[in-house]
Amino acid sequence: MQYASLVAPGMLVFTVGLIVPMILGLRYSLTSWNGFTRELPWVGLVNYVRILHDPYALDAWWFTIKFTFWNTIIQNFFALLFAVVLDTELKGRKVYRTILFVPCLVSPVIVGFVWLRMFSDVLPAINAALGTNINFLLFGSAHTVLSGLLIANNWQWIGYWMLIYLAALQSIPKELYEAAHVDGASWLRRFFSITIPMLAPAFTICIVGITIGSLKVYELIVSSTEGGPGRASTSIVYQIYNTAISGRQYGYGSALSMTLVLVLLIVAVLQVSALRKREVQL
Amino acid sequence: MIGQGVSQLAVIIVAAVFILPLLIVVGYSFKTQRELYLGSPLAIPHSLNWDNYANALYRLNMGTSFLNTLFYTAASVLIIAIFAAAASWAIARNRGRFFKFSYIYFIIGILIPYQALFLPIYIVGYSLHLTNSAHGVILMYVATGMSFGVFLMTSFMSTVPVELEEAARVDGCSLYRTFFNIVVPLLSPAMATLIIMESFLIWNDYLMASLYVSAGRLRTLTVAIQSLFSQQTNDYTSAMAAIVISVLPIATLFVALQRYFIKGMTVGALKG
Repeated sequence: MQYASLVAPGMLVFTVGLIVPMILGLRYSLTSWNGFTRELPWVGLVNYVRILHDPYALDAWWFTIKFTFWNTIIQNFFALLFAVVLDTELKGRKVYRTILFVPCLVSPVIVGFVWLRMFSDVLPAINAALGTNINFLLFGSAHTVLSGLLIANNWQWIGYWMLIYLAALQSIPKELYEAAHVDGASWLRRFFSITIPMLAPAFTICIVGITIGSLKVYELIVSSTEGGPGRASTSIVYQIYNTAISGRQYGYGSALSMTLVLVLLIVAVLQVSALRKREVQL
Repeated sequence: MIGQGVSQLAVIIVAAVFILPLLIVVGYSFKTQRELYLGSPLAIPHSLNWDNYANALYRLNMGTSFLNTLFYTAASVLIIAIFAAAASWAIARNRGRFFKFSYIYFIIGILIPYQALFLPIYIVGYSLHLTNSAHGVILMYVATGMSFGVFLMTSFMSTVPVELEEAARVDGCSLYRTFFNIVVPLLSPAMATLIIMESFLIWNDYLMASLYVSAGRLRTLTVAIQSLFSQQTNDYTSAMAAIVISVLPIATLFVALQRYFIKGMTVGALKG
C-alpha cells in the first residue's frame, strides 16, 4: 500500500492536467458551449457533422496532411542519408553532426521568425550578390508557403532524426558486414540486405515521431506566416486556436480537437501493430 | 579517393547551408541600426556591439522573462524527475493490478501530445484558477511530462539492483528513505537524461506558456520574443539578441550533457 503512495502524486497531477481535459474535451465537443454560460447546451454530434461542411476546418486538415506527408518523406530520407554519410570515417564528422543537430535546440517559434527573415531579406541578398533571380519570397504566395514551411521545419528536425539513425547504425554488429564482405557482397547489397532490415525499429520510431510532430504543428506558423497568406498555411491546431480561443466556440473547437486526438490514436495503433508484426517475424 | 573528396565537399556544403541561419542571427545581434538599413544582410558586423543585448535585457525586459523561464523549467523538470522516478520504481517492484494499470494509464499520454488537447487543458486550468500563475503552468508541464518520464524511467529500472533495497529494508529503512537514499542515487543517470530532455521541451515551449502565463511579469522568453515579433517592429537587431539569449543556455546544456541527451532520444528507438 505504501508503494501506491509513490505513484499517487504523479498520477494525481497527470489526471488533472491531461486525463480530465481529455474526457471533458469529449464532453464539450457534444455541446455548443461558448465559454460564457454556466450550462452546456447539449447538441449531440452536430459539431462533428459541421466539420464535414466547414471549408475552414477541411482546409486546415488538408494543409496539415500535406505538411505531414512531405515531412515524413523528406525528413526520413535526409536523416538517413546524413546518418549513413556521417557514420563513415569522414574527417570532422563530429563537428558536422553537431552543426546538423543544433537547429532542433531552437524553439519552433524562433525558427519561424528566423526563416521569415531568411526568405524576405537574407536569401534575396544572395540573389543580388550572385546576380541570380531565384524567388525566395516563399511565404508571400499561397502556392509556395507550404514549401517555405517545409524548408524551415526540415532545417530544424533533420539533425534530430539523423542522430537516432546514427545510434541505430552503430548498434548493428560489425560481424554481419564482415561476413557479407567475405561472401563477396557489394556495398549496395550489404546496405539493402543488412543495414535496411536492421534499421527497422528506428524506421518505425522516426516515421511515427515525424508524423506526430507534424500533425501538431502550430508554433512554427505563429511567428512566420500566421496561417496565411489567406488561410493557405492554417494547420489544424492553428484552426482550433482561432475557433476556440479567438472565436470563443469552445464546443466546436473541442470537436476539432477530438478529430486530431482520433488521428493521433490511429497513428499509435498502426505503430503498435507494426512493432508486433516484427516481433512475430523475429 | 575521388569519391571521398566529393562526399567531403558535399558535406561541407550541406553543413554551410545548415549553419547559415544561425550565423545570420548571431551576426544581426551585433549590428547597429545603420548597418541593418544600409548594409547587406550578409555582411559581417563591423564590431562586437553589445547595445542590442543591453536593449533586449533592459528595455525589452528579457531579463525578467529569462528568470521566469529558468524558474518554470527548473521547477517542472525536478518535480517530473522525482514523481516519475517514484512512480516507476513502485510500478517496477509490484506485480499488482493497480501498478499494471498505472503504467498503461501513464503511457496513454505518450501517444497524445498536449497540443491536441490544449483547448480543454486551458478550460480546465481556467476553471481551477490556474491560469496567469506560475504554479499553474508548472503543474501543466509536470502533467504533460509524466508520460515520457514514466516510460523512460521504467526502461532504466533493470539497472537498479533489488538486493540493495532489500538490505536497506532489513536494516529498518522506511520505504521513503529507501527511495531517496538508495534508489534515487542509483537512478541518477536516468534522471539526468529525463531532466535534460524535458528541460529542452519546456524551455522552448510556446503554446502552453502563451495560454497560462501571457501576462507581462509572468511571461516566458518564447512568449516575450513572439510578442516582439508580432509588434511589426523594425528593431530586428534587438530581437536577434533576444534569440541568442534564449538559445544559448539550452545549447550550452546540450554541449555539456550531450551523452545524456542522445540516450534520452534513442531510448525508444533502440528498444523498438
